[in-house]
Amino acid sequence: MKAVILAAGEGKRLRPFTETMPKVMLPVANKPVLEYVVDAVKNSGISDIIIVVGYKKEVIMEYFKNYDGVKITYVVQEKQLGTAHALLQAKKHLKGPFIVLSGDNIIDQNSILKLINDPSKYAILIKEHSHPSKYGVVFIEKNKLKKIVEKPKEETGKFISTGVYKLSNTVFNDVEKLASEGIYALSSVAQSIVDRGEEIRTITTNSWMDIVYPWDLIRVNEAMIHKSSASTAGTIEKGVVMKGAVSIGKDTTIYSGCYIVGPVVIGESCEIGPNACIFPSTTIGDNTVVHPFNEIRNSVIMNDVHIASHSTISHSVIGMGTRIDNNFSTNPGEATVEIEQEFKKLKDIGVMIGEDSIIGDGVATEPGIIIGRRCKVSSLNRITKNIPSKTNVM
Amino acid sequence: MCGIIGYTGFREANKVLIDCLKRLEYRGYDSAGICVMGKKLQVFKDVGEISKLEKEIPSFKGDIGIGHVRWATHGKVSKENAHPHLSGDKKIALIHNGIIENFQSLKEELQQKGHIFLSQTDSEIIAHVIEEEYTDTLENAVHNALKKIKGSYALVVVSEQEPDKLIGACNESPLVIGVGDNENFFASDIPALLKYTNRVMYLDDGEIAVITKNSIRVIDGKKKEVTKKEEIITWTVKDAEKSGFDHFMLKEIYDQPESIHQVLRGRISEIEETIGFPERVESILNAEFESIHIVACGTSFYAGLVGKYLIEQFTKIPVFVELASEFRYFGVKKDTSLVIAVTQSGETADTLAALREAKSAGCKTIVITNVIGSTATRIADAYVLTQSGPEIGVAATKTFTSQILTLFLLALKEASVRKTLGPDEIYHYILQLKKLPGQVRQILNNSDEIKTVAKHLKDVQSVFFIGRGIHYPLALEGALKLKEISYIHAEGFASGELKHGPFSLLTKDTPVVAIVAKDETYDKMITSIGEVKAREPPVIAIADEKDSEIEKHADFVLRFPSNGSPLSGISIAVILQLLAYHVAKLRGCSIDKPRNLAKSVTVD
Repeated sequence: MKAVILAAGEGKRLRPFTETMPKVMLPVANKPVLEYVVDAVKNSGISDIIIVVGYKKEVIMEYFKNYDGVKITYVVQEKQLGTAHALLQAKKHLKGPFIVLSGDNIIDQNSILKLINDPSKYAILIKEHSHPSKYGVVFIEKNKLKKIVEKPKEETGKFISTGVYKLSNTVFNDVEKLASEGIYALSSVAQSIVDRGEEIRTITTNSWMDIVYPWDLIRVNEAMIHKSSASTAGTIEKGVVMKGAVSIGKDTTIYSGCYIVGPVVIGESCEIGPNACIFPSTTIGDNTVVHPFNEIRNSVIMNDVHIASHSTISHSVIGMGTRIDNNFSTNPGEATVEIEQEFKKLKDIGVMIGEDSIIGDGVATEPGIIIGRRCKVSSLNRITKNIPSKTNVM
Repeated sequence: MCGIIGYTGFREANKVLIDCLKRLEYRGYDSAGICVMGKKLQVFKDVGEISKLEKEIPSFKGDIGIGHVRWATHGKVSKENAHPHLSGDKKIALIHNGIIENFQSLKEELQQKGHIFLSQTDSEIIAHVIEEEYTDTLENAVHNALKKIKGSYALVVVSEQEPDKLIGACNESPLVIGVGDNENFFASDIPALLKYTNRVMYLDDGEIAVITKNSIRVIDGKKKEVTKKEEIITWTVKDAEKSGFDHFMLKEIYDQPESIHQVLRGRISEIEETIGFPERVESILNAEFESIHIVACGTSFYAGLVGKYLIEQFTKIPVFVELASEFRYFGVKKDTSLVIAVTQSGETADTLAALREAKSAGCKTIVITNVIGSTATRIADAYVLTQSGPEIGVAATKTFTSQILTLFLLALKEASVRKTLGPDEIYHYILQLKKLPGQVRQILNNSDEIKTVAKHLKDVQSVFFIGRGIHYPLALEGALKLKEISYIHAEGFASGELKHGPFSLLTKDTPVVAIVAKDETYDKMITSIGEVKAREPPVIAIADEKDSEIEKHADFVLRFPSNGSPLSGISIAVILQLLAYHVAKLRGCSIDKPRNLAKSVTVD
C-alpha cells in the first residue's frame, strides 16, 4: 500500500515561523513535524510514500533527500486550493487502496496500522476532542461516518476528523466531480461518498496532534519531547549536572556548572554555559550558543540562536538565527492574542520571536507577544504589543 | 577531464554503465561510448550527450563492460575519437582519461609495425601498445605497456581473451575502485558509483588493479601486491540531486547557510574564544616560516587572493598568490615558505603538480580541499577540508565561500599563534563568523531585487566588475561567474587600475558592477564610480545596507548586511553568484554544464 502525505500548505496562522519554511517543517524536539509523520508511515510497514509539496518545496526535498528506508516521490501542487485538489496531484501514482495524511499533524504508527488493517474500502481516523468546533466535526453511527461538518457554528458532536483516510483510487471519480464544481476539500469528498450510499468506517485514535498557531509549538514540543531518546554526544565538562532524559547532539559542548533537568533536547554544534540552567521541557536546535547565567524553561529554541548572559526565557519560541542580548526576560502569563482576525485566550505563554531578529539588552516582553522575522528591538524596551516582521523598535 | 567507468558483476552492464555515465556527465560531455563483453566485444559510441545517446545505444547482453564520456583534448569531437578504443585485432577495448606525452613517437613506431589507427586520439595508441605486449596475461600486458607510456592517465581495459576481468591503472589522474557485493567498479569520480556502493579504494599513481565480480587485486609498478584500505563515503546518491531547485548551481547557492556552518563546525568556540584545526595543520602553523604561497586555479585562485588580504592583514606575513599552472614551472620555491594549495576536487592536475614541486623543494604544504582521500590530501603534509558536500554545478559557488572561510580561519589561527591579534580581536571575529549564516539567508530571501537587476544585464555585450582591496578578487570572481555561465564578456578590475587602460573600453553600453563597502576604501570607490559615470554606463552598486549615500552615485543598488569586517565578502560573493545565475537563466544558458567547461580539470 502507498501513502500520500499532504505537505503543500503555507500555514499563514503560524507566521512568522512559516515565512521561510512550510509549516510541515517546523521543528518539534528538533525534528520537523513531517518527519514524525513519515516515520510513523514507514514504521507501519509502508515503503512507498508520495509527498505533495508546494509552498517552499525545496526545504522539504532538501531535508528528506537523505531519508532512508522508504521510497519518496514528490508531486507538486502549484496552487494550494484544498486537500482534495492536493490529493488529485498524486493520482497517476496511485492504484488500488492507499492512505492519505496531513504532513502537519503528528500521528503514531499504531493508528495507521489500525487503518491499514481495517477490511473496509474507505475509512477515516477520528479523535475525541473537547473543543471540536474549530475542526471538521464528524457524526457517526455504528462506526460509520454519517456526516462531516467543517467548523460548525451550531450543532456539535464530540469527534473530529484527523484528516487521515484510507481510500482507493476509485475515490478520484468523486474528487474530480467535486473539483469540476469548484469544491476542493477532502471532507466534502467524504461527505459525497456517504451521500452516495457508500460506507466510510470510522476508527478512533488518541495520538493525534495538530499545530495551528505558533504557541502550539510549545505544547506539542512538551508532549513529544519525552519520546526522543536520551543520548549524549559532544563534550560535557566536569561539574555539569544532568537529571532526567537529556539528549545532546554531536560537536556540542556543555560547559562546567550547567544544570540541566530533562526532558531536554540539545542539537549539534551548540555551546551552552558555563553556568546555564535549562529546565523541562526545552528543545535547543543546532549551532546555538547559550552564554553563562541563563535560565531556559519549557521553550523551543531553534537553530543558530544566540543568547547572551542573564536572560530568563520561559514558555517561549525563539526562531532560527535570532540574537538576544543580555538580560532579556519573557514574562509568561495569561494573554489574549489576535491572529488572522481571531482572538485566542492563552495561559502560561511567553514570547514567540521569528527568524533572524535582534533583541537588544534588557528587553522584556508581556505574555503572548509575537515578534516577527528580521525585527530589531533596541535596548530596554518593554514590548506590549505584537511586532510585524522587518520592524525596527527604537 | 573525461569520465570513465568500469563494471563487472551480476547486473546488466549496459544499464549500469549508462546510469553511471549520466552521473559523470558534468565532467565531460562532447561524446560518449560503452563497450560490453558478451560473446565478443560490443561497442557503441557517438557524439552527443549521454542522455541523448541513451536512446540509440543497443541493448548489449553481458555483465562486464566499460564506459566513457569525453571532453576533447587530442583530436576533434567525432565519433571515431570517442571512447572506447579498440586494439588492431579488435579484441581489447580501452577507455582513458589524461594525456599521453610521447604518443607521437609511439604512434610512428606502431605504424611501422603495420598498425592502423582509426582516430586522432592519444588514447587509441595505448590499446595498440597493450596488444603488442599481450603475450601471456592481460595484467602483464598492461604492466609492460605502461612502462612505455609517458604522461597522465586513468585507464580501464577489457579483453575478449580474459572475459571475466577488468584492469585499471592510473598515474596523475584519479581512479577509484568501487567495492560491491558480488560486483565491483572502476570510476574516475565517486558520485558515479554512489547509487551502487559507498565503499571505495583509491588507486595510487603507478598502481594496477585487476577486478572481477568477486575479487580485487592491486599491484604496484614492480608487480608487488599492495593491500588497499577500503574507505566509506558518507555522501549518498541523493546528495547529488537537485531538491526541487531548477539547477544544481541554484541549489548550491542556497546551500551556503549550511555549508558555512560546516566550515566552522568543530573549529571555532565562541565560549572558549578559540580556533582549532587538526594537529598536523596546527603543528605546521606553529612552525617557523617567512612567507606563504597560495597556489590554485580558477575560482580557487580568487579565493586565494582573498586569503592574501586576510592573512596579510591579520598576521603581517607576506603572501604570494600564484596560478598553479605557472607556479609549477616558474617561481621561486624556498623551504622557508609555507605553500597552501586550494583545490575543490583535490584532483586539479596543475595544482597537484605545483604541490609536488613545492614539496620536493622542501616547503611545508597544506591543501584546502572539499574531497577527503583525494590525491591532494595524500600529497600535502596536512589538509583542511571545506566540508561543503558535493558540488555538481560546474561553476563553483559554495566551495568558493567555504574556501575563503577556511583561509579566514587559518589566518585567525596564525594571528593567534604569532600574537598579531589579541584574544579580544579574535573573539570579535568569531562573533562575526557566527552571524554569517543569517546574513546569507537574508540575501537569499531577498533575491528578487537581484533578479530585477539581472534583466538589465541580459542583453549587453560586456560587463565590468570593479572593487578595491579585498573586494578586488571578488570583482574578478563576479566577472568569472558571469562569463562562464552566461557567455557575456565580463572583466574584473581593481578600481584604481581603470584609468590605466580599461577606461578606453568603457561606453554607455558597458554596465559596471561596483563593490562598495563601508571601509577605508569607501571614498576611493565613490571617486571611481564618479569617473565611470562620466562615460555614462549604468552602474550597479553592491553596497552595505547602512550606506545611505550610494543611491546618489549608482543606478541600481544591491544591499548586503552590515558586517563591519572582511567577512562581508561572503555576502557579496553570494550576491554576485545570484546575479550571474539569473542573467544566465534569462539568456536560456545551460547553467550547470556551460559549454567547453568541465568541473574538475584533471589534465594539464
